Amino acid sequence: MPQPHRTGEGDSADIVGLISDIARALVDLPESVSVESFDEADATVIRLRVAPGDIGKVIGKQGRTARSLRTILAAASMKLKHRFSLDIVENEAQPS
Amino acid sequence: MQDPETKTKKVVEFLQAVTSPGRLNLNFELLNEPRSFTGESPAEISVEFSGPDVALLLARNGELLLSLEHLAAKVLRYEHEEHDRISFDAENFKVLRHQELRLAAEAAIERVQRTGQPFSFAPMSSRERRLIHLALAPSGLPTASSGEGARRFVVLYPAGGKPEAQTTNDDRAQVIRERFRRR
Repeated sequence: MPQPHRTGEGDSADIVGLISDIARALVDLPESVSVESFDEADATVIRLRVAPGDIGKVIGKQGRTARSLRTILAAASMKLKHRFSLDIVENEAQPS
Repeated sequence: MQDPETKTKKVVEFLQAVTSPGRLNLNFELLNEPRSFTGESPAEISVEFSGPDVALLLARNGELLLSLEHLAAKVLRYEHEEHDRISFDAENFKVLRHQELRLAAEAAIERVQRTGQPFSFAPMSSRERRLIHLALAPSGLPTASSGEGARRFVVLYPAGGKPEAQTTNDDRAQVIRERFRRR
């Protein structure tokens, strides 16, 4: 698929680092945090995975923590002139 | 729970993560004499931001500033009612915003007493809503909060105008949690 406004590799890496640093500080099991990014047509999706027991920690009461993370992404999007969106996923049970 | 040095270290680590190169272009300073904006106990941790991205921090009624403050409170495992123990500010935003909220409260009291109609404030964070409730209290008029999550707002009623019962918090939390999971 064509990517008309591809971001530099460095930009996505900075944002992945930012979200993963914050997420690791929020959860009880930082070693289970993983963050990946993939480009869609008009945005880069930042996918944050945390341990099942930590999902509440990154979403927060009434979704406020998730909203705060998205506000940070929106600010970064403005600076980098490229849209980043956040996808929060609960890690499946460990595959054997 | 944690000693003050551990907390300070955690907040500094969080702030360094947010402001490191390629992220937000901000300087931060931990204040030794924490300020209190609610007239109650002063915050344990008070941070002042400066630098090129302050405009970004204060846009949309300080949305980013309040988001960073919320995340830092969560990093310290503060529960909701303990959020006043941490305070982030830049360019006197909080002082000016609180003056603005107090003026809005006074104007609302005058208006509700004159018209006898309920008045709805703009949606606000829980801390700002609390400030509005406190500023409205001396009027003796009934107040309530309505709406969900980020869209929750304060309503000031005329004397005798009874606020209707709210849906339970549990139901609301469940609905919102689902909504925020993926977007």
